[in-house]
Amino acid sequence: MSTEIAEYHSIPPARRGLLIASKWLFQAAIVLVVAGLVIWLGLAVREALARKGIQFSFGYLGNVANFSLSEGVVPSFVGHWPDLEPFSPTHTNLQALLAGLWNSLKVALSAIVLCTMFGTLVGIGRLSTNWLVRNLCFGLVEAIRNTPLLIQIVFWYFAVVLRFPPANAASNWFGGLLASRSGVFFPGLAISERAGAASWGLLVAAVALVVACLVLRGLRLRLILLAAAISALMAAAFIGFPLGLDLPVATRFGARGGFAISPEMTALLLAIVVNSSAYVAEIVRGAIESLPKGQWEASASLGLSRSHTLRDIILPQVFRIVLPSLANRYISLTKDTSLGIAIGFPDLFNVYGTVSNQTGRNLEGVVIVMLTYLALSWIISACVNGINARVNGRRGR
Amino acid sequence: MTTVALRWVHRNLFAKPFDTALSLVVIPMLAWAVYAFAHWALIEAHWQVVGGSFKVLMTGIYPAGQLWRAWFSVATLCAMFGAGLGLSLRPGRAALTAVASVAILIAAALAAAIDVHSGMLTAACAALGIAAWIGTQRSAVDQRIVLSGLLAGVVAVFVVLSPPGFEVWGGLLLSVVLTIAVSILTLPFGILLALGRQSRITSLRVISTAYIETMRSVPLILVVYWIWIIVPLLAPDTSVPGLLRGMAGFALFFAAYVAEYVRSGLQAVPKGQIEAAKSLAMSSWTLNVDIVLPQALRVVVPSLVGQILDIFNGATLVFIIGLTDFLRAGQMILADPQNSGRTYEIYVFLFAVYLAIGGAITYASRRLEAHLARGSR
Repeated sequence: MSTEIAEYHSIPPARRGLLIASKWLFQAAIVLVVAGLVIWLGLAVREALARKGIQFSFGYLGNVANFSLSEGVVPSFVGHWPDLEPFSPTHTNLQALLAGLWNSLKVALSAIVLCTMFGTLVGIGRLSTNWLVRNLCFGLVEAIRNTPLLIQIVFWYFAVVLRFPPANAASNWFGGLLASRSGVFFPGLAISERAGAASWGLLVAAVALVVACLVLRGLRLRLILLAAAISALMAAAFIGFPLGLDLPVATRFGARGGFAISPEMTALLLAIVVNSSAYVAEIVRGAIESLPKGQWEASASLGLSRSHTLRDIILPQVFRIVLPSLANRYISLTKDTSLGIAIGFPDLFNVYGTVSNQTGRNLEGVVIVMLTYLALSWIISACVNGINARVNGRRGR
Repeated sequence: MTTVALRWVHRNLFAKPFDTALSLVVIPMLAWAVYAFAHWALIEAHWQVVGGSFKVLMTGIYPAGQLWRAWFSVATLCAMFGAGLGLSLRPGRAALTAVASVAILIAAALAAAIDVHSGMLTAACAALGIAAWIGTQRSAVDQRIVLSGLLAGVVAVFVVLSPPGFEVWGGLLLSVVLTIAVSILTLPFGILLALGRQSRITSLRVISTAYIETMRSVPLILVVYWIWIIVPLLAPDTSVPGLLRGMAGFALFFAAYVAEYVRSGLQAVPKGQIEAAKSLAMSSWTLNVDIVLPQALRVVVPSLVGQILDIFNGATLVFIIGLTDFLRAGQMILADPQNSGRTYEIYVFLFAVYLAIGGAITYASRRLEAHLARGSR
């Protein structure tokens, strides 16, 4: 059709050349204007900084930082073994930024796992047959989604975490969890000194058997694997178990032992998990409601109970639908960790602020931080797209 | 009556074993939470701290002698809000009664907690808003008048508020004015970006897409902070107030989001519309302005209203550039050692106000969505 029309209005070659040339000129003009704008911006900032005696270069990254962070680790080497050591003022600016990135990632990754779990639960709760549960979930989701994240963060920090008892009088919750205003202490795993190579080998074998049991199919094979895993564990325990539980204890001078997270991280994590759970709940609820009603009816007519239907019929389909929306949520969540600056959590943005205040190098710093966040967004969407392709690709087969 | 109630309870709370178990866990917990909160709110809490610091919460450090400027802005904003509401939703009897009773309640609370003067002024502002709501008809003429009136209103608020200096703006007034100004600024920029992303000209498309995607993957706080830092470097001789720099940062950031909403609207316009306009030999300007955009924007109005909530919530981030918004004003009050024990009172009040405003915006967005869906059927 279109070719016919083109033949009708055949444009003389000379004029066509002019048209194409003018089109290219137009494109080139736009590119030039925008590139000129960006370059002018960069040059103007550089010049302004040069007037203050600061040259554009990334050399400052190698200089000694001369400030301390309340938490953060940097990669280092002990002999040939890579190791992590706490950040100290003698480390470089680059190591400070890395420590900040590590802190951001720490919060973001834990929040991604936790908010997916809680969000799914709340999303299912919003469709519960129980009136009270349904409306409670609705109220919580709306209250969280309609208020700023920042007020939630400062509320959790100033009104909840800092109101915990001091560490020496900390309350011991279930399973040895210790909550105090100087941080939350979880029971940690400690490596026992007495264990020999044999018990380590048995432990590794037990873990491998459990993994095999989860991956492989067939009920009898699974039962045999499980039995073997349990007997390996028991044998390991008999000759001296290699791992011990390190319970935190409240002492007169604070808490000791276990695995501790700082009050700032506790508050930020709580706020982000609760906030994102509300959004994930809405995503999950929307996905469940978007499934054809026939799915529920068919499984009900097969005599499946509601919980069975949910677990075996509905949720597997829901996870295919929600993946793209979840990816967007995870990206927003990662960006939200930058609000930690309001309560003094040393995340990437906070450390960037400190470094550029100390060195006056905003231009270089913002380039680094912007590229890091871009990379994080791309990595998250690439991961979720990969999972999406795997999950939804199977359906096509 | 009791049988009906019992049947309702049976059907909604104890229908199945699992529901019964859930109810048995949730009801005592909820009852305890409600009791604990009510006991605290009615008996233990010292709400005087909110009344005593109301001026700071609402206007920050705005000079007390100049408060008439703030009152003028509140009245203008109420009228603008009422007129805007009148354009989209007709006032029903129930809605009017609800709004009026809430306004009377707030005015009475203010009269009791602060002074009769502010209570009466609040009532007058609310009455102005309701009058504007009733007075605005859903006609093309009114639409034109109201839209230009909204712009004039924003300009008037800025002109009246600015004489004491931008740096003394604060409190809830700052949050609201910032939100409105940014919402208006993002619209033209966002529309241009969306058109750019849809354009046939490759370079324009690539540049718009790059801008949108970059802005969408960096945190708002970074953009706001960086614009705040960079403007004095670019214009060393003039001093641009922090508020305007912050506003520029917000507008640059949220324009990318507006562009994505508008793009979804552009995609919803039937292709036949564009083809028909082209066959009538319309220029691409007329085509976009008279045919495509009115239909596209109509679809995205609910999302754009929802976006206002994002901007309002994001406005709390102005603490990073040293401005005192509503949340920051609350924290300033708590920084006073005299009020150090009043953490919960202040936060509960802030949370309640944020929730009330956010809930109203979300409600409006949903009503608009339902309204537009009905119109296009």
